[in-house]
Amino acid sequence: MLYSIGTESPILNILVIEDEKKVALAIKKGLESEHYEVELALTGEEGFFQLSSRPFDLVILDLMLPGRDGTEILRTLRKKDKGTPVLILTAKDTLEDKILGLDLGADDYLVKPFAFPELTARIRALLRRGRGDQAAKLGLADLEMDLVKRTVLRARQAIPLTAKEFELLEYLLRNSGHVVTRDMLARDVWKETLRATPLDNVIDVHIGRLRRKVDDPFSPKLLHTVRGVGFILSETAP
Amino acid sequence: MRLRPSSVRVRLTLWYTVILAGIVLALFLAVFFSVRASLIRQLDREVESEFQAVAQSLAEEPNELSEFESEGAGQTFQAMKGNEVLFETPAFKTSGLRMADPATPAAARTIKSPAGTRFRLKTGPAGPDLALTLAVTEEPVHSVLRTLLVIFMLALPAGLALAALGGSIMAGRLLRPVDLMAARAEKISAENLSSRLPVEDARDEFGRMASVINRMLSRIEEGFERLRRFTADASHELRTPLTVIQSVGEVALQENLDAAAYRDRIGSMLEDVARLSRLVDSLLTLTRADAGALALRRKKIDAAQLVSQAVEDMRPLAEEKRQDLSLSAEGPAPVQADEATLRLALVNLLDNAIKYTPASGTIAVKLRARDNETLIEVTDNGPGIPAEHAGRIFDRFYRVDQSRTGQAGGAGLGLAIAKWAVEANGGRIELENREAGGSTFRLVLPHILE
Repeated sequence: MLYSIGTESPILNILVIEDEKKVALAIKKGLESEHYEVELALTGEEGFFQLSSRPFDLVILDLMLPGRDGTEILRTLRKKDKGTPVLILTAKDTLEDKILGLDLGADDYLVKPFAFPELTARIRALLRRGRGDQAAKLGLADLEMDLVKRTVLRARQAIPLTAKEFELLEYLLRNSGHVVTRDMLARDVWKETLRATPLDNVIDVHIGRLRRKVDDPFSPKLLHTVRGVGFILSETAP
Repeated sequence: MRLRPSSVRVRLTLWYTVILAGIVLALFLAVFFSVRASLIRQLDREVESEFQAVAQSLAEEPNELSEFESEGAGQTFQAMKGNEVLFETPAFKTSGLRMADPATPAAARTIKSPAGTRFRLKTGPAGPDLALTLAVTEEPVHSVLRTLLVIFMLALPAGLALAALGGSIMAGRLLRPVDLMAARAEKISAENLSSRLPVEDARDEFGRMASVINRMLSRIEEGFERLRRFTADASHELRTPLTVIQSVGEVALQENLDAAAYRDRIGSMLEDVARLSRLVDSLLTLTRADAGALALRRKKIDAAQLVSQAVEDMRPLAEEKRQDLSLSAEGPAPVQADEATLRLALVNLLDNAIKYTPASGTIAVKLRARDNETLIEVTDNGPGIPAEHAGRIFDRFYRVDQSRTGQAGGAGLGLAIAKWAVEANGGRIELENREAGGSTFRLVLPHILE
């Protein structure tokens, strides 16, 4: 882990092994704007070489690669290095593929096409792992959430929320400053495992209600819609 | 290599001819041997009567042997007295036959002379100390038999050839429907599935086969038609968001906009990407389901809990339209199902009901048991499904409103997915139109067999 001069926050190195150049470059740009340092490997061979030459904080790995297959790279990596988190990013979406990938020692599995906010959320989760931030309270600006008492305050005023609204706000708070997609909400808040289940409208309705309770009577507005992507809880509009 | 003619007609003819040849040969052998036996018997009677005549002459006039010289010129015999030859005809002498042992008189038997001629020969006593041997040539018998054989040898191939020809013609006539069917079937392809095999007589074997194949063709045609419609609908549904993405992007590039406006355009494009993505997910789910490649983990779950959870999840949508969404589910109602897919079926039904029931309408969800089944009913008081659509409402991309404006909602895959999802769990889906207006969609699941 390298520390940049003058700040306390470490710069994290991510290796992206992905043969589709456009996708690889988009990931690199996106992650760099989130202040990660990104190395690209466009073939399996190159990825293999990079992995053996220096350590990374996280690896994003495609499975179908020219030259050396992703599963082979993962297998070799896990022989000598058990610690580096590996996120598989692939178009293979069957349950068997997922199980195989996770069995080989991958830490997470994301299916293409993916929403970029989801990728960054998962990267954050992987890098945070093992650090045990079990905060009892979450907050943003004058919005406060007490996870033990299950209460929400905005400008010191108590805001009554339904159980679902509370869960939704908690999820948004945990990812505050980052966009969350409807797919992420469906999976993590509604616990829906099938992507084909139509929950988008349900999510939109809940967001609307939450906004009426948490934002409408107050300023600044915190819950924003990012058109075409999802929602973000942030003090400034995106 | 096994000799096996490729044509059924040739095989039939060959079999027929071989069997016929066998039967004719057996018949011939029977005739041959019975004719031979009968001719020999006749010859034996001749031998016997000649023997008696000669023996009588010998006994009555033993001294007039010379008469035999002239009378018995055509006869072949030898008379012996003691061990001496008393008399023998010239024919006997030239034949090379010898007197057999007179002590063992017997019935006539066949003897072959040294010259190769077969004789029927009888030896016996003709008086005191007098033995007679008389032979008659078998030549006429063999001549008849030879003629018989020749006739047979000539007639058999000709007869068999005629029979084979006739058999071949008959087999050809019988098999003609098969040739016709084959010729017609040859012309039937994916582009020309509406044509059918000719049925000459629906009651015979070929007719029944043709009917069976025709019914199969009808099913294939139906399947193709569905596939064609599906492909057309799918490409239409996929093209719509693609068109939006393309045109929004192209127009945005031509304009000179500020960052916020570009963001808005990109957001608009991403919305349609999401729509596209959702559609591909749904199509993939259905395609996998068709291929049987979707892994289901069926276990015992409580339908009551599942139903009330799904209803609570969807309730906000009904509330937005001020619809009355009521639930009556007495639990527990154990069913054997994969939770995610059953939930998918239910959520799709609820989504459909909320979407197509007008504002302030009512939607009632009811869980109940009937006989050996668990029923989940979603009843609405919306416009109902017109009878002409009821049969196809579960088809992929099928919508009662054919305009495809996408106004009310999705691509028309919801009910198709619901149908598949409940069938994958061993159940079925039913649609019932209510007289009072509105319709009931019913998920039927079998009870768990304890």
